[in-house]
Amino acid sequence: MIKKIYLIGNPNVGKSVVFSRLTDVQVISSNYPGTTVEFIKGYLNLEDEKIEVIDLPGTYSLEPSSSAEQVAVSLLQEYPKNEIAVINILDSTNLERNLLLTLQLIEEGYPTIACLNMCDDAVHRGVHIDIKKLEEILHIPVISTCAVTGVGIKLLIDRLKEVAPVSRAKPSHEERWKEIGNIIEQIQHLEHRHHSLREILEDASVRPLQGFIMAGVVIYTSFKIVRFVGEFIINKITDPLFYGTIQPLLERLASNLQEKGFLFHLLIGDLVNEKIDFKQSLGLLTTAPYIELGMVLPYIISFYIVLSFLEDIGYLPRFAIFLDNLLHRLGLHGYAIIPILLGFGCNVPGILSTRVLESKRERFIAATIISIGVPCVPLQAMIIGLLGAFGGFYVGEVYLVLFFVILALGLILNRIMPGYSPELLLEIPPYRFPPLVLLGQKLYFRIKGFVIEAAPIVLIGVLVVNILLYFKLFDIITGITAPIIHGLFGLPKEAIVALIIGFLRKDVAVGMLAPLGLSAKQLFIAATLLAMSFPCIATFIVLWKELGLKDLIKSTLIMITVSIIVGTALNFIILR
Amino acid sequence: MKKIALLNLKPNHKGKVLEILGGAGLQNRLMSMGLYIGKEVTKISYIGLRGPVVIKVGRTVLALGHGMAAKIIVETE
Repeated sequence: MIKKIYLIGNPNVGKSVVFSRLTDVQVISSNYPGTTVEFIKGYLNLEDEKIEVIDLPGTYSLEPSSSAEQVAVSLLQEYPKNEIAVINILDSTNLERNLLLTLQLIEEGYPTIACLNMCDDAVHRGVHIDIKKLEEILHIPVISTCAVTGVGIKLLIDRLKEVAPVSRAKPSHEERWKEIGNIIEQIQHLEHRHHSLREILEDASVRPLQGFIMAGVVIYTSFKIVRFVGEFIINKITDPLFYGTIQPLLERLASNLQEKGFLFHLLIGDLVNEKIDFKQSLGLLTTAPYIELGMVLPYIISFYIVLSFLEDIGYLPRFAIFLDNLLHRLGLHGYAIIPILLGFGCNVPGILSTRVLESKRERFIAATIISIGVPCVPLQAMIIGLLGAFGGFYVGEVYLVLFFVILALGLILNRIMPGYSPELLLEIPPYRFPPLVLLGQKLYFRIKGFVIEAAPIVLIGVLVVNILLYFKLFDIITGITAPIIHGLFGLPKEAIVALIIGFLRKDVAVGMLAPLGLSAKQLFIAATLLAMSFPCIATFIVLWKELGLKDLIKSTLIMITVSIIVGTALNFIILR
Repeated sequence: MKKIALLNLKPNHKGKVLEILGGAGLQNRLMSMGLYIGKEVTKISYIGLRGPVVIKVGRTVLALGHGMAAKIIVETE
């Protein structure tokens, strides 16, 4: 009787896609090793019975070497072997390496079914596999699937009930590889193919000169597209909607409310020149929705379009190769670019994915760097929206300062922390062209996630601020912190409110700066401080979970110290 | 036949792994990714400036850190 089903396989073989097909639970899948760092649960109906299916992080063998692999192996041991079924997913284009885990699973007595995924890709690359023969050799059910199109999934479900433990001797690693070599010779036939354009591009992207040029082109184009799409949505869709349709409605509502009344203050906020100003009014119906939907959402969409595409096509691990040298000096290695890039979307998934890194030391450095120097899309969108009004130059300066802070901090941490930075060891996946439907689903999933998570916190944030402002409760705090805020950072003392709100959400915090009438220099300093200082609450919780209390405190102290030093330095160095 | 580190193998040249210096931990990690003693590898590139080395093992493309590539000794023509 099967009570649980586990999906296990090497990194980047399409486990998450198979999982989505089996359970209808939509999960993020990407073309690089280590997309799934935490297990994900779903349910499959098997003969009128609802069975739990668990998607495990990718692992090369049953002897784990990273914290994500550790998760996979220990979860597999949770239930008695006679109550589970293990679906071992393999990459058909690279059967040899994938079979190691399969043999280990069989040897350990797990009731296993082998699912040779990406069968269409194998055909394209001239790899032919004799499934029947492999089944005879392994004595377990073997099927061929193409999860992105859904081919073979029904057969996989049908044959699940055939799984049973098979007895097999446990050889040494060397003997096992020899055996795999023999198996491959019997079942795999490689057709000779001329190099396709795809293979030429795959090759060029890992060569020093061509690869470097490609990396430059990819980064430049990505930035351009993110900006273009973001601005397009703002100028053509959201701004016309807010200013053309919503503003007249709200003004009618405002004229029916008593100005200066509590409700008016809460819903509409302050009028600027007798009119509602979406950026400055700070009301629940005005600024709150405008920040989230009118300023941040367009960039969330454009950022994730570009990131999802780069992820799925398989470019990111190639990018990692070129950053290995630099990141090595910061105590990390090239693959740390994946958590960092994800962190540019939202720090939470960024910090979670530091699990692809091997040591605790690396994970501490990466998580700290991300929370200090990597601004999330909501924060960046607001900085572009407000500071950009003074000229793109100032926005560029924020990035420049953050870049140098990351560099300096990494160099210092790498020097003072005990231990050393491990070497890069990374599989470079082939390029794959994801079906647009899957890309669209992933985008939808991420945008929905953003709206659901952000909306309530933004509303609560604006509500709390409004109540505190109305009853003038901030005055006590502003008085206490004035020496730092005004004396060191050169900001008006009310800016502390924004820094405090930054704990709830960074985008609302930047929004709070709008009504203060700051100069370009002040806004620049405040925005940089917001990016570096205390992380937002969601990030804070993930940091706690991932690092533990002691390291969380260490990381937080670093953030506060760095913010004060950099904020003061900027104030006294910049004379404009 | 000569013995050199993978790091020093010329791009587009093949070599057979003779020895993996370094701990059992590294050997096991490489082993589980398909790189073990006796296996033939093709070097694709070295990024330079103490950056990674990219190799092909079977049908897998691997990027190895500079130091790691120095610890893998191969036999080549």
